[in-house]
This record gives sequence, C-alpha cells and structure tokens, in this order.
Amino acid sequence: MSEFFKLQPLEVEEFKLKNGLRVVLNKDDSVPVVSVAVYYDVGSRNERDDRTGFAHLFEHMMFQGSENVPKAGHFQFIMKAGGTMNGTTSSERTNYYETLPANQLPLALWLEADRMRSLAVTQENLDNQREAVKEEKRLRYDNQPYGQIFDLINEMIYKNFANAHSTIGSMEHLDAASVEDIREFFRIYYAPNNAVLSISGSFNPAKVRELVDTYFGSIPNQPLPETINVEEQPEVANTYREWEDKLAPFPAFLIGWKIPRRRTPEFNALYMAGKMLYDGDSSRLYQKLVKGDESVIQLFGFTDERRGPSSIFIGAIPKPDKDLSKIRDLIMHEIRDIAENGPDPKEMQKVHNQLVNDTVRTRQSSMSRAQQIAEFALYDGDPKIVNSELDELFAVSPEQIKTTVAQYLNTENRALLDIVPAGKA
Amino acid sequence: MTQAFANTPPAPLPPIEFNVPELFKTELKNGMQVVVVSDERLPLVSYRLAFRWGDINDPDGLTGVSSAVATLLTEGTESYTSRQLADEVERLGASLSVHASDDFTIVSASTLSLYSSEILRLAAEVTRRPTFPEKEIDLYRRNTVEHLKFQRSQPGFLAGEQASRLIYGDHPYSKVSPSASDIEKLTRADLRVIHAAALIPNNSTFIVVGDVDREAVVREIDELFGSWPGGSLIEPTFALFPIRSSRTLTIVDRPGSAQSNILLANGAIDRNHPDYFPLVVMNQVLGAGASSRVFMNLREEKGYTYGAYTRLNTKRLGGDFEATAEVRTAVTGESLKEFFFELDRIRDQKVPDGELNDAKNFLTGVFPIRAETQEGLTNLIVNQLLYRLPDDYLKTYRSQIERVNVSDVQRVAQTYIRPDEMAIVIVGDAKEIVPQAREYAGDIEVLDTEGNSINIPGQEAAAN
Repeated sequence: MSEFFKLQPLEVEEFKLKNGLRVVLNKDDSVPVVSVAVYYDVGSRNERDDRTGFAHLFEHMMFQGSENVPKAGHFQFIMKAGGTMNGTTSSERTNYYETLPANQLPLALWLEADRMRSLAVTQENLDNQREAVKEEKRLRYDNQPYGQIFDLINEMIYKNFANAHSTIGSMEHLDAASVEDIREFFRIYYAPNNAVLSISGSFNPAKVRELVDTYFGSIPNQPLPETINVEEQPEVANTYREWEDKLAPFPAFLIGWKIPRRRTPEFNALYMAGKMLYDGDSSRLYQKLVKGDESVIQLFGFTDERRGPSSIFIGAIPKPDKDLSKIRDLIMHEIRDIAENGPDPKEMQKVHNQLVNDTVRTRQSSMSRAQQIAEFALYDGDPKIVNSELDELFAVSPEQIKTTVAQYLNTENRALLDIVPAGKA
Repeated sequence: MTQAFANTPPAPLPPIEFNVPELFKTELKNGMQVVVVSDERLPLVSYRLAFRWGDINDPDGLTGVSSAVATLLTEGTESYTSRQLADEVERLGASLSVHASDDFTIVSASTLSLYSSEILRLAAEVTRRPTFPEKEIDLYRRNTVEHLKFQRSQPGFLAGEQASRLIYGDHPYSKVSPSASDIEKLTRADLRVIHAAALIPNNSTFIVVGDVDREAVVREIDELFGSWPGGSLIEPTFALFPIRSSRTLTIVDRPGSAQSNILLANGAIDRNHPDYFPLVVMNQVLGAGASSRVFMNLREEKGYTYGAYTRLNTKRLGGDFEATAEVRTAVTGESLKEFFFELDRIRDQKVPDGELNDAKNFLTGVFPIRAETQEGLTNLIVNQLLYRLPDDYLKTYRSQIERVNVSDVQRVAQTYIRPDEMAIVIVGDAKEIVPQAREYAGDIEVLDTEGNSINIPGQEAAAN
C-alpha cells in the first residue's frame, strides 16, 4: 500500500465444522455490538429458466418460520433483543444478517441455525410471500421511472442465461413456484457445506466456537450442488435497444460493457477508471457534462462485480431537447482519452486517497466487516483478503488502466439502451 | 455425542456497558458554539457546522433561497472556482457538502484524520467566502427546474407533497419543494443577502467528532472562524398550523401506476415536546419496524404490500404522524380498512405488557448500534445540540425509553393519532382508487400530478 498511510489489519480467524460449514470471525471490541452474517452460495445465477426470481422468493421464505421459530418470529426475536436484521439476494449469493447488542450473540446463532436445519414451508406462507414479493417488484421496478433499465441492459450485455436474467424475476415464474420447489431448493443449496457463517464485533472467541458447534454442529451436510457455468464470450448479446418507459418524464440512456470478473487486475483497473470517469464532482464526466457542456440533469455510473463476467455502466438523463448522441460522443471521447493517454498522475493520487477513505469507512460497522469477510471467504476461499484488497488496487499502474480501458471500454462491443418516455417513441 | 437442539431461544450473555462519549463544549468570542467529541476507533474525522436557519426561514417571495445558498456555497469562493473546490476535496478522498433542511443549514465534511486541517480550511472557505458566480447560479436554476420535473414522476414525492400541504397549511413546513418559478427568479443579490443573514457565528454550532487533538482543533477553528463578526438573530413568526375537523381524501391521479401509494397523516409534536418518548415507544409498537403491528397485518398476514409503516416527523416547531404503504391497486380499500383498524386498536385497547417491553427493548438495544459508525454517532450528537435537548440527553435516552408505561402509550395514541381528522392521500390510478376509497372520507379531491384539481372519475356518470 502507499507509504503515507498504514492501516491496521483486521483480526481475522477461520475454522470449519465437520459438516463443512465455514466460520469466519473478526473480533473488535470497540463497541459492545455483534453482527452475524450467513452467506449461502446460491443466487439468481443458479435459477432454472422457468423459475426466475426464485432465489429471492426463497429468501423471503427464510423469515416464515422453522421448527422452533414461528412465522415472522425471526423479525420479532431479533427486534425485541434490540437488533436489526435483513436478507438480500443477488446474482451471486443470498445473505442473511443481524446486528445485536453483543450479549445477544447466542440468539442470533440459534435463529440462523434453526432455519438452516429445519425450515418450515407451508402453502399459505408461500402464497403470502409471493404477494409480498410481487409488491416489492412493483414498488422497486414496475412503478418507478427508469426502474427496469438495469434488468433490461443485463439481458443485452450477457448471453448466458445464468448471467442475463433478473434477480426479481417474472410474475409468471413467481406464480409457478410451488412448495415442492421450495423444499428442493432448500435441500440442495441451504446445506452447511454450501454456506459461510461470519461474525464480527465484540465477543469471546472460545465462547463463539462453543456456541457455533452447539447450534450448527449437528446439521447434516448435503452433496454439493453442481457448479454453475457462467462463462461466456466477450461479445455482448445485443448492442442496441430502444425501450418505452411509461413512467419516465425524460429520455435517458444507459451504456453497458462486459468486463472480466471481480478481483482480476483488469476488473480493478476498470473499477479505478470508473471512479475517474463518474465518481464525484471532480470526475471527468461530471465536469464535462453536468458542468462544461451543461447538457445532463443526472449522470451515474457503477461496476457490477461478479465471480464470472462482470459489467460496468454509464448512464445519463439529459436535459430536454439535448442531442443524446452528442452526449454519448463526449462520454466516448473521455474514454478514448484514458485509452490513449492514460490517467493523469493527480487522478491516480485522488483515486488512491478515495480508496483508502472508502476502506476505512467500511470498517466502521461490524455488519460491513462481517459481510466483507464472508464474501472473501465464499468467493475466494480466504477471508484475510480483506487485509490485502487495498494493496491489490494500489498495485494497478496507470499503464494498466490505460491498456485495460483501451481493450474493454474504448470499443463498439457495448450495449446501448435508449429509454423513451411513453408516446414519444 | 450430539446435544439435542434447544427448542427455545437461548438466554443472553452478561450485558456489556455502552458508554456515551463525553462532549467537550466551548464557545468562540463571536458566539459560535464548538463541541468536540473524541472518537479514536479509526483514523477518521467528521465536521458539522450547523446554523439554526433552514428552508422555513425563506423570506416571502424568496422560496427556495436558503437551499440555493446551501448548494451554491461549494460552487465558487474568493479563492477557488467550483472546479478547484471539487478537485481539492476529492484529491484528499474527502467529502464536503452543504444542505438546508426545514430547520437547519449544515456544512458537512469528513475525511481521513490525516487531512483534517486541509478539509477544515476548505469548510471555512465555503462558509465565509462564497462568491455565488452568476454562471453557477444560472446552472443551478436550470438544473433545479429539471429536478423538480423529475420529482413529479415519483409517487412518494407526490404523496408527501400533498400530505404536507394538508397538515401544515400556510406554515412553511407545508412546502416540500419550491416551484420552478420560485427558482427562476432567484438572483445573486438575494443569495448574498440571505447568506449574510443566515450564516452567522452566533447562531451556529461547530461539531467535531473523530480522531483529533482537542486543543489543536479548537485552536484551528478559532483561527478560521474567530474573526467572523456576529450578526443579529431573527426569529420570524410563522402562520399557525391549520386545525383539521374532519377526515379528507386526496387522490393524485398518476396514470400507468402499478400500485397505490397510501399516506395517512395528522399533526403531532415538535422535537422538544415532553411526549416525545412515549410517542416513540407507541410508534414502535404500531408501525416503526418489521415486527410492528401494521407490517405484521398488511404484509405478513394480508400480503397487500412489501412494507407498511408508521412514522413520526418531529421538527423544531411542529411535526406529524404518518402511516404509509405501497399496495397493489386492487386492495387500496382493504388496506385503508386495515390501517384504520390498527389506528383504532392502539387507541382503544391497552398495549399488552409483553408487546410494550419488546418495543422498549428494541429501542434501547438498537441505540449503541446507531452509534457504531462515526457518521451515526455524529448524527446523534448533532440532533441533541441542534434541537437544544438536555445535556444528558444521550446518556439518559435509554432510561427515558424504559420509563414509558402502558398508560402513557394509550394516552399519546389517543392524543396524537386522530383517525377522524386524518388526511388520506393516495397516489395512483384514480379511476380504480375512487370507488374503493370514497367511503373513508366525506370530502374527496382528485388532483393531477401538478396539483391541479381534476374531475372525480365516475362522478359524471353518477350524476346521470
């Protein structure tokens, strides 16, 4: 890492139970709080092509009761102990997590263990959660202007169904999900040997080992699910689509590129290039489009990091009557500039400072630490990468950023989604 | 040998004390209050320079001016252009922004403690020496006008806008957003006048939380702000909140909606009100979280919605109680029925002891979790100081919650939840909503997304 700033490494320990459950610990006594996260190695990438949205619907079912916990009891046990909790589903994994006063660690482990060993599924609960998920889909996607554009562009970028389809899924597939599907999915994917249990915060490590063994030790393992093939060729599936958005007040566009998987030098270089392009008021595109050219109301960009082919996006909502193709030319012009001249030394310094700042901030909460070490354990088999991640990013040279941007961004191999307000197509 | 899995939840381990950090308070000669809180967990520092002046202080005819001043402070100063400021701040990996809310204007900065002096100097520069360049004002006007249009495409904004109008009437809390014409007429002279009146040291508090040397940071603040002359404090008078005597129904017609956004509201209390703690506990039982009554009913039992909640908005001079859910259009009427069922139930029946204790345990337990990050801790301290809550507020927070009993909860429910005076606001497909919702109120109005009255769908046919 840089010589100006030495970050204390996080204290990370790991062990494995006989049934294959991987356990990672980060002890930090600064606040009397503890966070527990369970990461299951299953996401929308594992879904069948007639069950899109299933991994996420299943996540909801994990809050509907198990042998010793009544329906919705999970929420209630956690909250009355003074904790917070949630679960999320992505293409890569499904996670469940809670933060509690440190002395309530046994409760969190008992609750997670009970649903890992004995999920209870009823038709009534499934029907009820199906409705809640449909409302979630309406709330977040169908009833929001521009709410569906990221799902649409993923279908343009990726060719492999495992990568291309949305996590929220389709209403038809949600309707088709049965109690039997839930039981089968649980058996295959929710086994201890397909999960990582991560604990961060204030605790006694010996006590933790004892508790983990007591609650999780007797849960039987299962044959590991078949590995999913997420590979695909670098060409995007579809380079152009025009889409009518009945709720959008203005035209907009979104450009997406397919890029190498997370933690490759290429991904890291593009992540840093992305920061230079669209992150903050001093970024190249903000200064060019929102300031200089004054043509854009809103500019955004981000990377979607996955274990397989990943992606980077840049989008804009231009002001009315602006020429969208001219704005896209300006974006490509900046990309070409990095591809030909590389980043400015000042830009490198800025990005390095931002990376250090981001890393320190992420470490403030036990929940984000628990999530980070769980991810590295699940995706890379090594939670200690949390302490070397920043070195990997600092190792990326300006020359690497230049050549990687030239290869992956400064190309016609990209997807362009044009969003047109209803009646203006 | 394997032990049987315990079929009841395990007992907690011995509790660990959480100590609220000490606040060190001092004052500069010009009246600026300075508060330093040491937080050495990580090499970070957070600064908040807060002024007791917010959007409600916009003078007549200058709606939107306080927010414009706040945003434009970082768009050019005597020594830096907008671009140079952005470059300087981000070069450090830091952040510096200014925001005006209803009651306050807050300059926020945070950074690695390594750069604490640099960011402090920039915070002083934008606060004391902004130049409001014409070019930046012009860009602000044009961008804001487009953002205002964009907001109108979002159902949550439309519901909040109508509820605020109905609850706060002529009081400036009713304005959640300026209009395009308000923004277009703001001039550089207006901004300079408001900057001079609003941002004065004797109406401000400077809060530092982080890994800093206390004496050194106080000295630096004094060097940067000590010479800033004080101004005169203005406490304007505001219109009274309207008195509501009946339940009303306002529907915002948003064609193409996939859901109805329901918002029920009535006026409640300001942040300093003695009923604050009982109301917070009551709200926790009723609707603040995923184990509260309205969520359990509308989502977990009925499956009408992804989330149903109630909340308290407590501001410096007043506040309101709200219940909200986004439901599929076909169950709009059923959702209103369940909301009113729960609102009546918590008024009419005493909350069982167990349920009350669960709510209190959540509120006391979650308190250290909220203070876990420097950002979270800073926000708690900022609220205590800005609302002028007692010095021991954070220290006694948990015991204040524990003190609330079943009778307190029923009393505040009966006082501050008033189903017969509520404003019902629903954003969605009006022709589907009217038949389901009309029985819930005598007065019905239907508006378009710009807020203009339109005909009530179905009314014409009914008149035949």
